[in-house]
Amino acid sequence: MRQAWRMFSSGARASWIAYLVEIPPAAFLGMRIPRILLQSLFFVLLAKAAGGEALARFALIGNAVQIAVFVAIASMDEVIEMEKWNDTFLYLIAAPADWLPVMLGKSVAFYGDAAFASTITFAVLSAVLHIPLPLIDLLRAAPVILLIFAAACALGWFIGAFAMPIRYGYMMCNWTGYAMIIFCGINVPLSGLPPAVQFIGSLLPVTHGLLAVRALIDGASYASVLPLIAKELLVLLVYAAAAALTFGKRLRTTRQRGTFTQV
Amino acid sequence: MKTDDLRAAVRILRNSIQLQFKNNLVSGEIAGTLILQPVIFTLISVGTYVYGHKPDLGLFAITGTGLISIWNGNLFTSGDILRDERRRGTLSLVMASPTSLPFVLLGKSFANAILSSLAMGITFLTGMLAFRLPIGIADPLAFLAGLLLVIFSITCLGLVFGSLFMVTRTAGEFVAVANFPVYILSGLSVPLTLLPLWTRPLSELLSPTWGNRALIAAATGSGGSMLPNYLVIVALSLLYLWIARLLYRRVESLALKAGTLEQW
Repeated sequence: MRQAWRMFSSGARASWIAYLVEIPPAAFLGMRIPRILLQSLFFVLLAKAAGGEALARFALIGNAVQIAVFVAIASMDEVIEMEKWNDTFLYLIAAPADWLPVMLGKSVAFYGDAAFASTITFAVLSAVLHIPLPLIDLLRAAPVILLIFAAACALGWFIGAFAMPIRYGYMMCNWTGYAMIIFCGINVPLSGLPPAVQFIGSLLPVTHGLLAVRALIDGASYASVLPLIAKELLVLLVYAAAAALTFGKRLRTTRQRGTFTQV
Repeated sequence: MKTDDLRAAVRILRNSIQLQFKNNLVSGEIAGTLILQPVIFTLISVGTYVYGHKPDLGLFAITGTGLISIWNGNLFTSGDILRDERRRGTLSLVMASPTSLPFVLLGKSFANAILSSLAMGITFLTGMLAFRLPIGIADPLAFLAGLLLVIFSITCLGLVFGSLFMVTRTAGEFVAVANFPVYILSGLSVPLTLLPLWTRPLSELLSPTWGNRALIAAATGSGGSMLPNYLVIVALSLLYLWIARLLYRRVESLALKAGTLEQW
């Protein structure tokens, strides 16, 4: 257990350093934050043009969560893929240490990045677009929002592990993130979507959790949204298991075939 | 320009266009950008308008999404061109060769832009199939002329942004940043009337704004001469080319002085 914690914390340190190298403060302020805000602003304005203030509020909540999901999915894919690009995948295979705590640690900075993306989107866009969202209700919903990010991270890990032998992991995450706007009820309510879209949405992270978040922001109690939270948790566990199994399989087959440089 | 120089410029353009087409043929990313993005964005934008009981804005959303895909395809792939040269270690060779880098990039970006024009067809098709919108183009010739002009103009605008990709390894982030302001300020799928008045001059400086107006006018057959729109697009394209030329000179000299092109 102590060893696992040590592996996790050294992974977390590496994650923070990698994050600072990838996105130095200037890029963070000049690119990351504007990107986060502008992407959400576009979709909220679209909703405002289509359905007025009510739909804009709906889309703001959805997009403030979705932008973080977007960041989480892409970053987690990158955590996995960078092992390939940095030629460190073979160390994961050769080292006697368990890879799971290391990889979890390596994801920490990006999980924090996702939480920040959501916070700043809620704060800035609700002020700029004059859409009031009670702070206390937002804080009440925060644990469910963090659960959604965890489920999104699991999906990102899964895509990263799945896409490891090909070169399109980032692109797959990008389009998955956008497709989730349709399937997860981000811009328009799920009830307004065709049944097939609703079914696909029910299998994805975000959908159930976001319903709970919306209800909590509107003043519902935790007890009333418990089934939704349970479903989001279940989705998280399924994707996390799929990600761990797929990544483990990649490690095993690469070791068996000796194709370290062809991953 | 001497005849030999002109011939060389045409050869560089032709070769870079050919090379980029070949690259695109074997690239899964292009397929994703060209096919998936228009479909997803059309479903989101038209779907939102249909949900809001404003299907009459469907055509506006579709042409907007088409231009979004063209701009995104152009910018995304322009960023990729330089990032890939950097990753393969060939950027410094391209920079050191007597061939002008902007010429090479112009050819490659134009190839991407031509290919991304397919996105416009895909957005129309998605709108018709997914939402059963009765969409037609009232003046196909004017639409085609507007589309070609705006593609050329977007390529020139992409070159302005592309110059910055040479000096940063965070081109991917930059692409994402540069995408959405252009969508919003050009009124692509989102009406300009939602934006504050102070943003209007910025919108007028972006050729996608004029392209969007021209395409919607041609598609709806709203009448009036298209010539003023076309002329503004051409004038803006020339302005972008001039700015790109200045920026490339500056960035090229910075990159050569720093000598860090290999550090991707």
